[in-house]
Amino acid sequence: MRTFDGYPRDDGPAGVRNYVAVIPTSVTASPVATAIADRSAENVRATPHQMGSDPPEATREQVERTLAGVGSNPNVGAALVVGLGTEATDVDDIADAVAATGRDVETLSIREAGGTAAAVDEGSELARSLREGISGARREERDADELVFAVECGGSDATSGIAANPAVGAACDRLVRDGGTATFSETPEFIGAEHVLAERCADEAVRERLLDRVERREATAELMGVDLRGAQPSPGNQEGGLTTIEEKSLGAISKGGTTPVRGIVDYAERLPVGGGLVLMDTPGYDIESVVGKVAGGAQVVAFTTGRGSTTGNPLAPVIKVTGNPKTADRLAANVDVDASDVIDGEPIDAVGERIYETLLAVAGGERTAAERRHLEEFAVNELQPNELASLRGDA
Amino acid sequence: MKGTVLGDAGLHMTAQDNVVTAIDDLETGTEIPYDGVTVELDEAVPFGHKIALVAMEPGDAVVKYGETIGEAVEPIAPGEWVHTHNCESRRGRGDRAANDGEVA
Amino acid sequence: MSAPTGTASDRESTPSFDAYRRADGRTGVRNRVLVVPSVICSHIVAERIAESEESAVCAPHDHGCGQIGDDHEQTERTLLNLTRNPNVAGATVVGLGCEHLQSGPFADRVAESGVTVRETAIQDAGGTDACVEEGAAATADLAAAAADADRADATLADLTVGVVSSDLEESTRTVADPLVGDAVDALIDAGARVVVAGTDRLAAHRDAAADRAATATVAESVRTVGERDAGRPGNARRVARRAADAPFDEIVGAWGSASVDELVPYGGRASTGGGLTLVDSPSRFEEAATALAAAGASIVVHVTADGVPTGHPVVPVLKVTGNETTAEALADDIDLDAHTADVDAVLDELGRVAGGTPTASEEHGLTSFAISRVGPSL
Repeated sequence: MRTFDGYPRDDGPAGVRNYVAVIPTSVTASPVATAIADRSAENVRATPHQMGSDPPEATREQVERTLAGVGSNPNVGAALVVGLGTEATDVDDIADAVAATGRDVETLSIREAGGTAAAVDEGSELARSLREGISGARREERDADELVFAVECGGSDATSGIAANPAVGAACDRLVRDGGTATFSETPEFIGAEHVLAERCADEAVRERLLDRVERREATAELMGVDLRGAQPSPGNQEGGLTTIEEKSLGAISKGGTTPVRGIVDYAERLPVGGGLVLMDTPGYDIESVVGKVAGGAQVVAFTTGRGSTTGNPLAPVIKVTGNPKTADRLAANVDVDASDVIDGEPIDAVGERIYETLLAVAGGERTAAERRHLEEFAVNELQPNELASLRGDA
Repeated sequence: MKGTVLGDAGLHMTAQDNVVTAIDDLETGTEIPYDGVTVELDEAVPFGHKIALVAMEPGDAVVKYGETIGEAVEPIAPGEWVHTHNCESRRGRGDRAANDGEVA
Repeated sequence: MSAPTGTASDRESTPSFDAYRRADGRTGVRNRVLVVPSVICSHIVAERIAESEESAVCAPHDHGCGQIGDDHEQTERTLLNLTRNPNVAGATVVGLGCEHLQSGPFADRVAESGVTVRETAIQDAGGTDACVEEGAAATADLAAAAADADRADATLADLTVGVVSSDLEESTRTVADPLVGDAVDALIDAGARVVVAGTDRLAAHRDAAADRAATATVAESVRTVGERDAGRPGNARRVARRAADAPFDEIVGAWGSASVDELVPYGGRASTGGGLTLVDSPSRFEEAATALAAAGASIVVHVTADGVPTGHPVVPVLKVTGNETTAEALADDIDLDAHTADVDAVLDELGRVAGGTPTASEEHGLTSFAISRVGPSL
């Protein structure tokens, strides 16, 4: 059994980082949350987003689940929840959910603090004290089966499906073999290969749920006048060598490896620990998709990119993997693993082993390129009117 | 997934695949050893594009990643470039998926 | 609605201020270099570039990736017109390299519209560090050029003023909106262009709203917007839900009494010259302020009962509240208490802000930036 040095938590698996999360409940409170984190020490991180003060209920529920999930991620030691004070989502709603996991949580109302400047001052003080509270945490040796490893692909090109994705998939297979959880999402990218995933589902219930989620995403796109199935591969993809949607999607899903699909969860729903390969139903939009998985409890993210996406996440280290030798060279400062060796003849499995080693090292504290540069994009998927109508069945 | 490079030219994702993916811009005449024979490219094939390892008739499955990625719609010879001109999706269109008898 | 104090001629001696005259003839009250990321993935680099230069601001948004069709068009139109805002002296466009809204072509379109623009992209530059460096150098050049911007004496009549009332609380409807509405009337009388947001109020009052239009064409557009939104009950946000609870006139007090002579789409540009423009934007502050800025407003007046305190990177925002608790709790974040201010106070404040006095939100410096979405993420 492989191991890593992680921070033990009262509930659930160990964290690979030890952060104070500053979580705003609305778009209005987000700049204050960011200002607090900017003024505070390095391990105080904000999660700004764009949810309004009074959204439709289903939208609000999903965002609340996401924020509570983010605050309860194993990498978070304590949390500060910030609101204006008049939002439909009360700071206490999120704070209580996070506190129930045994974490220290403080709340801050901009109105009660006396305005923006006063709130930033008070928030910085609260963040400082929360930080002190978690500063005694120490890493100890933990089994790899405590890891929930999220995989994402963005900025794909011809190399993604033949080098970076299969190599990351090989790393997922290793983690699953060691008893951990590997997860990928971006449901629109299953389309064309959903039958393959369906065959790999561990039981009928999972299979049905998977096919249902794929159908819903396709229906949502149709409402926008987008034919997800007919429009793939794109002209750019075809120029790069992708002939059919099956080929493209098989290349995409190869990033999850070859083990049976044990489940599929909804956006920001909790991912099982020690759960094998579990999918999450998310849009293809990278930032929202990564946030969904982090809200579900993923401690580490691997992000494959052909052309060179440089994004990170405030609460989970993002390992950048590219199979494109030009990208590996040009964006060397923003890439963690060069998987283009597959194209030179290195066995996929060997590159997969390298990625697994990187996963364990990063889990143990080694910083990724995105972390070193504080690249930490954050966005929460917000259900929009036609999605809500579609969910209600009256689209 | 194994991913073996054949002849320094084509990446064979799994043993079941009947195509390889070019890992460089390949010139006509490039030789790819496969299953005891030498497959020779009868045209130039760009990086990332596919080359047939065996002969295929219209309707035959094109296999990559160990799965069907489409079917031949023209006769294809070993060493021939495989792409949108001779290979089409089986699942890209809802009507075809229905004909396959599967629930999309 | 309270009776306006004084008449237009009483205000002919409106004080003038030193403003910025742009190449297209429009008048700005700030002189900023706008760093605009074409996609969310480059927004942190864009923010770092803006931080390197004092007169630079950033418009970081959540979009550009996973957007298609109308959504994509709206984002692009909005960003383009923001670069054309009269407060903007020049723009640095920052891209990633693989997104739909590619920074190179977008920068070309910005240049074609007459804005001084520079461009950089993460993948082309060779990484985030290199891109920050390149972008900072470009922004410094733009800032240096901005220092030579044309100045001219101007009055409020030369400005485009944006107005958004972001809720329908009682204090807003009965105190703050009427005050702002009177100020809007005074501005239009003096010859200013006023742009108002909040078309989420139209669905519940389609006839009354159409009656506010100056022409049949505008009336038609107003009806179309109302009908579009009426097709989505139950999904609507707070203002739309409450709009039906009161007569139309009571829920658009901040718009004043003039007829609407044009309706522009979200992210679209308003005409100049005296009159009233309605922009197709929800009432939510962050989205509305962006729409008003894209329309060409150089100052925005924001009525807020809650006391939403954030400003906007492109335009100074004047916060007005009629809610006494808010006026007290957020005294440092509110510019005008509608209970104690009159129309002259509003116009005086606008004049001071136009002349360079920072608003409360410019003092604390925290801004929000959002673009309205048409559809879901894919």
